Amino acid sequence: MQPLVLTIRKRDAGEWLAKLLDKGEVLAPVAGPCGEVIFATVDAPEQVLWDFENPLSPPKEFVLPQTDPIVRIRLNGQGTEVAPIYDCKPRFLFNLRPCDAKGIAFLTCMHEMDPPDASYLRRAANLTAITLACNTPCKMGFCVCSESGPFQSGGYDVQLTDLGEKYLAEIGSEKGEAALADAAELFEPATEEEATRRKDLEEEAKQRFGEETCHFASAMRRISTKRVDDGLWEAMAEWCLECGGCNFICPTCYCFSVRDRGGDGAWTRCRVWDSCQYAAFTLEASGHNPRAQQKERMKRRFFHKVSAQYYLRDGVAGCVGCGRCIKVCLGATDMPAVVAAIRKRVWHEG
Amino acid sequence: MLSVPTTCPYCGCGCGFFLVARDGGLVGVTPSQTHPVAEGKICSRGWNAHEAPLWGSRVLRPMVRRDGNLETVSWDVALDYVETRLRDLIDAGKPIAVLGSPRATNEENYLAGRLARAGLGTNHVDFCYHSLCRPLLAGIEDVTGDSSHSICLSDVESSQTIVLVEGDLAKTHPRAASSVLKALGRGARLIAIGCARTRMARLASCFLQTAPGCEGDALNGLLAAASRAEQAAAPYAGLDSLRRELADVNPTDEMRAAAEWLGAERAVFLIGPTGGPAHQLRGAAAALASLAAITGHLGRTGSGLLPLLARSNSRGACDMGMAPDRLPGYGRIDDPEVQERLERVWGKPAPTGRGLDAGSMLESVSGLIVLADDPAAALPAGGRARAAMERMEFLVVLDSFVTPAVKAAHAVLPVASYAETEGTFTNMEGRVQRVRPTAAPPGEARDGWRALAELCARFGAGETWSSATEVFKEIAQAAPRYAMAMPRIADGGWGSALIERPERAHFTLQAAPAKAASPTERPYILALDGAFEWGDDPLVSFSPTLSREYQSARKLFPNGFVEMNSEDADTLGVREGWRVKLSSAHGEVIVPIRRRKDLSRGALVAPYGFRDCLSNVLREDGVAAVNMERA
Amino acid sequence: MKADVFLPQIARIDAVRDETPDTKTFTLRFREPEDAEAFRFLPGQFVELSVFGFGEAPFCIASSPTRPGAFETTIRRTGMLTDALHQLGPGAEVGIRGPFGNGFDVEGAYGKDLLFVAGGIGLPPLRSLIWNVLDKRDRFRNVTILYGARTPVDLVYKDELEEWTATASVEFHVTVDNSLPGWTGNVGMVPVLFTKTTLRPESTLAYVCGPPIMIKFVVQDLFMRGFQDESVISTLERMMQCGIGKCNHCAIDHRYVCRDGPVFNFKQIRELVE
Repeated sequence: MQPLVLTIRKRDAGEWLAKLLDKGEVLAPVAGPCGEVIFATVDAPEQVLWDFENPLSPPKEFVLPQTDPIVRIRLNGQGTEVAPIYDCKPRFLFNLRPCDAKGIAFLTCMHEMDPPDASYLRRAANLTAITLACNTPCKMGFCVCSESGPFQSGGYDVQLTDLGEKYLAEIGSEKGEAALADAAELFEPATEEEATRRKDLEEEAKQRFGEETCHFASAMRRISTKRVDDGLWEAMAEWCLECGGCNFICPTCYCFSVRDRGGDGAWTRCRVWDSCQYAAFTLEASGHNPRAQQKERMKRRFFHKVSAQYYLRDGVAGCVGCGRCIKVCLGATDMPAVVAAIRKRVWHEG
Repeated sequence: MLSVPTTCPYCGCGCGFFLVARDGGLVGVTPSQTHPVAEGKICSRGWNAHEAPLWGSRVLRPMVRRDGNLETVSWDVALDYVETRLRDLIDAGKPIAVLGSPRATNEENYLAGRLARAGLGTNHVDFCYHSLCRPLLAGIEDVTGDSSHSICLSDVESSQTIVLVEGDLAKTHPRAASSVLKALGRGARLIAIGCARTRMARLASCFLQTAPGCEGDALNGLLAAASRAEQAAAPYAGLDSLRRELADVNPTDEMRAAAEWLGAERAVFLIGPTGGPAHQLRGAAAALASLAAITGHLGRTGSGLLPLLARSNSRGACDMGMAPDRLPGYGRIDDPEVQERLERVWGKPAPTGRGLDAGSMLESVSGLIVLADDPAAALPAGGRARAAMERMEFLVVLDSFVTPAVKAAHAVLPVASYAETEGTFTNMEGRVQRVRPTAAPPGEARDGWRALAELCARFGAGETWSSATEVFKEIAQAAPRYAMAMPRIADGGWGSALIERPERAHFTLQAAPAKAASPTERPYILALDGAFEWGDDPLVSFSPTLSREYQSARKLFPNGFVEMNSEDADTLGVREGWRVKLSSAHGEVIVPIRRRKDLSRGALVAPYGFRDCLSNVLREDGVAAVNMERA
Repeated sequence: MKADVFLPQIARIDAVRDETPDTKTFTLRFREPEDAEAFRFLPGQFVELSVFGFGEAPFCIASSPTRPGAFETTIRRTGMLTDALHQLGPGAEVGIRGPFGNGFDVEGAYGKDLLFVAGGIGLPPLRSLIWNVLDKRDRFRNVTILYGARTPVDLVYKDELEEWTATASVEFHVTVDNSLPGWTGNVGMVPVLFTKTTLRPESTLAYVCGPPIMIKFVVQDLFMRGFQDESVISTLERMMQCGIGKCNHCAIDHRYVCRDGPVFNFKQIRELVE
C-alpha cells in the first residue's frame, strides 16, 4: 500500500479521538494519580496528554498483561472441559513513543515465532498503535543507539509528528488507515513543506540527545564471543538487588511463567510476568539451579538483550533505548551502565 | 483499568506503587516516580504484591466451629457467637488476650487495642513480631529516652558514613540497600557488622565480622575507639563512665580507622534484628545509639539512627500500643499523662498493670483474639504456640488468608487484605502512609477496622466511625505524634507524612554487654537467622512467584537444616546435605547442613522457619553454644 | 498440536504401573479420537502434563511412536504435582500439551551400532528410542544397553529388563550401586559395565541419560575410549514451562532446551557454554 502522509489541525485531534472512542478502547498517556503520567483507558479526548514525559510503565501491559488469563479449565461432572480465553477487544494505543512502538513490534515478532502464540497475537491483531514521534528526546533515552527513535522509519500503524499547529500523520499499515477512516474529513494531504519539516524535526531531534549513550557494538561483540571477564560480571552483580524491575519495565522483556489459579473444579490458566533475575527462575524440581548466582543471571539477561546471536535470530536488538531501566533499577546495573562497563572492561559503581 | 496508589505490605521500607486492576480483578503492580520513598523503584516482593491477595487461599465467609468443624455462618451469627463466648470468659474471670499484627493497618491495630483495653479490660495485648523488634527499640530508648528516633532513607542516600548492623539488608530491606548503594556510589564509607559476608558486607569499606549475636563486641570496639578519639563530640554526661566501661576493650586498627570516619558531617546508623538473645540485641542497639551520640550524630539533620524493622507496619503496631506495657503513642501504661489522655479519648481509663506478652500469654489465657497473624509461624517458641492455640478455650481469628491459625480457630472473621481496604501503615522511617483498596474484598470479607469496630461496640468500647479516616482522626488524638500526619492522610495524593520526631539533647551512654565466653567444649555458635523469614508468611507463601525458593528449601529439607561455613565443613569432612549432631547445654539434635562461603567460621545459622526442629538445642534465646560432630 | 499453544488436550489414564516405591509409569490415552489421531511424536520428545489444580510440568514420553494409540510416561514423585498425580488411577483425566522438543534423530542412527547408557530415572527417555529401535531392529547394527540404579529396588521397567536380558537382539547389562539380598548381578556404578562389553567408538552412537554426576563420569569414560563429541548424545535438564521457547526458563545461550533440545550431542553441549 502507498505510504500516505496527511495532516490534521491540532484543534481537530479531539474529534478524531472521539471517533476512536466509538470504535474501541483508547489507551493513552494521561495524568494519573499522584502526579504520575501513566498509560490508561481514556473516557474523553481531553484526558489524552500530548506534551508529557514518557510514562515509566510501558504500554506492553496492553498486549501482555502482568496477569494474563489464557485458558479456562472446568470439571463438569463428566470430565474436564478446557477452553481458550480470547481477548479480541479493539484497542487504540495512542501517543505512544517510537521506542514503545518498537517494543510492541518486537514482542509481536517474538510471539509470532513458531509455534505462534495465538492468545498474544489475537490481542496484538486488534491493537492499533498510533505513535507520536519525539521532537525532543527524553532525558534518559538513548534510542538513537538502538535505532528505535526518536522517529520511526517504518513498522508503525500511524506515526504523528508535532509540526506546531498541525500534526503530520504518516500511515504505515492497513490498521493505521482504518484508524483515520472515520475521521477522514479532518485530514488533508501533507504539503511538501510539511513533509520536509518532518524530516528536519527528525534531524534536529537526533542532535538533541542528552548524556545517556549506549554504544552497543563492542559490548555486543564481547558478549557474543564470551569475552567478558567473569570477574566483571561478578563485580556488577554485587550492584544488582534482584528486584526484577528491569524485566518488568522493559518494553521488550516477556519472560513468563504459567500457572493455574482457582480451585473446586474451576481454574484459570494464567501467563504471569516473571524475571530471569530471580534466583528461582531456573530452579528445577530436583533443587538444582543452573543459575544459582546472580552473576550468571545477569550474564544471561545481557546475552538475551545484546548478543549477536539473538540479534541475528530476531532481526532486531533486544533494547529500544527507552531508558526506563535506569530509573527503575534498585541497584546500579541499568543497560547503559553495563554496556559501558563491558566496553571499558571496568565497573564503576554508582 | 484502575491504578491505585498504595503502600507496600512487605517490609519496613514502606515503598509506594500503584496496584493495578482490570475488570475488578488484581492484575499487577506499576511503579511511581513521585513516591517519596520508592521514587519509581520496587523490589521483587513489591513487584509481586498483587499475587498473594489474588492467588492465595482467602477467608471468604465468617465461620464458627460446631461439632469440631468450621461451618460457614452469617456475620451476625458469628459476631453474636464471639460476643457470647467472650462474655462467658469474662464472667468466669478467665483471662483474654489480643494479638495485633505488623501486617495489619494502624486502624485495625488501634481498634484491636481499644477493644482489649476499653472493651475487655485487659492489658494482655501484643503482636508476635514484637519480641524480635522490641529489643531494638528498647536499646534506642535506653540511650535517647525515645524509641522513635529515625532518619529517612534519603538521609542514608546522602550520608558520608554508614554503620550497618544487619542480618542481610539486601534481602530484608532492598530499598534501604539501594540507598546504601547510592551513597557508596557517591563515595560514602560503609562499616558493616554481622556474622555473614553479605552483599553489604562485601561492598563495605570496613567489615567487622562477628559470631552470631555478638555484634555488640564490634560496636564496643568502635565505641572505645570513638570515645578515646579527640573528636569525641560534646561532653555528654557519662562519656567518662563509658570510657571506664570500655577500658578493657582494645579496638583493632581497622576499628580505629573506621571510627575516624564518624567524624564526617553526615553519618547514619542502621540496625536490624540479628540472631541472638534479646538482651544482646538491646545492648547492641544501645551501643549503636551511644556511638551516634558521642560522634555528634543525634539531633543533627541528615544524620541519625534507623531501626530496620522488618514488617510494613511493625512501627505502626508499636505506636498503636500493641504491647502489654504500652498504650497508643507507645507511651508507658504507668505514665499518668498517657493514661489521662486515653481516658479523654476513650471515655474510660485504660487498665493499669502490665499484661502478658505474646510468648507468655498463649499458655496463660483462656480466650485469644488474633488479628492477621499466625502465632505458631511468628513466635520464637513456635511449637509451643501451636500446642497452646490448640488447647485454647476460645480462639477467634480475623484474617484475609487461610493460615494454620484460621484452621485452628473457634470463630473466623474474614477481613479484606491490604489490597482491598482503606488504612495506613507506618514504615520504619516513621512515615505514615495510605493503603487504598484496588479491588473489592472477596466473598463476605469486610474491612478489618469495621469488624473490630463492631466488636468494640458490643463491648461498650465503640464509637460511630464512618470511615477509616475517622478512625485515624481518633488515632491522632490518642497518639499525638500522629496528629501532624492527619492533614496529609486526608488528601488525595500519596498522603504520606513523617510523624513528629523527638527532640532530645540528653543521652544516657551505654556500651554493649560483655558476653560470656563460649565454653571450649562447645566451640560453635548456633543462632537463628535474624533476617525475617518470609517463607511462612501468607504474603509470600501464597505468591506463586515469591514462594518458589522457600518451597524448594522446605521440600529438600523438610526437617530443617543449619548453614555452616564451607571451610568448617571441610574440616569436619561433611558435604552439602550431610547430617551432623549438635549438642548444647540443653540437648541434642541431628540435622543436615548446607554450606555457605560467606558465614564466619564457627557460626551456624538456621532459618527461623526451622526453629522448631532445633528446639532441643536452642531455647527461646535463639542462640546457643554447641558442639558439632558428624552423624 | 492445536493453534492455542497453552490449551491442554484431555487424556485419560489407562493404566498405572509401580516401578519403584516412588516411581510409576502411566499409560495415557487421549479422550478425543481426533486428538489421539493427531498426536505424532518422536522418541525423546516430552509433553507438558497438567494435573488440574496442581499445575503443569514437563515429562518425557517413555514409549515409542511405533506403538501408537496410548503413550507412556514414567514419573517420580518429587513434589506437590507428582504427589497428586501418583494418587490418580485409571479413568482419571489429565491435561497434555505437546509433543515438544527435538527428539532423537532415529534415521541418523540407521546402520550404526547403538550404545544406551542409563542411570536410574534416566532410562525412561531412552526407552522411547530403545523401543523404536527394537521395533525396526534390522535398520541398526549392534544394540547394547547398559543400565544402573542405586539399588535393585530402584531399577525401573523390571519386567522389560528381563526381556532384554533374555533376547538375542540386544546386549544388556545391569548394575546397582548398592546390592540387596537376593541380587546376583553386577555391583558398582554404571561405568563398570564398560568392561562387560566391547565398545566400537568409530561406529557407535552413544545415548547417555541419568543424574548429572553419572553423565559426567560416563561421558568422560567414553571420550577416553575414543568416542567423538558428535557421537555422544544426551538430554539436557532445565526447568521448562511453556514448551515452545517463549517463557525463557529453559534458555541457554540463544537455544531453548524445549525447542532445540532436550536432545543434544556433546559437540552442541560444549558450544552451549553460558
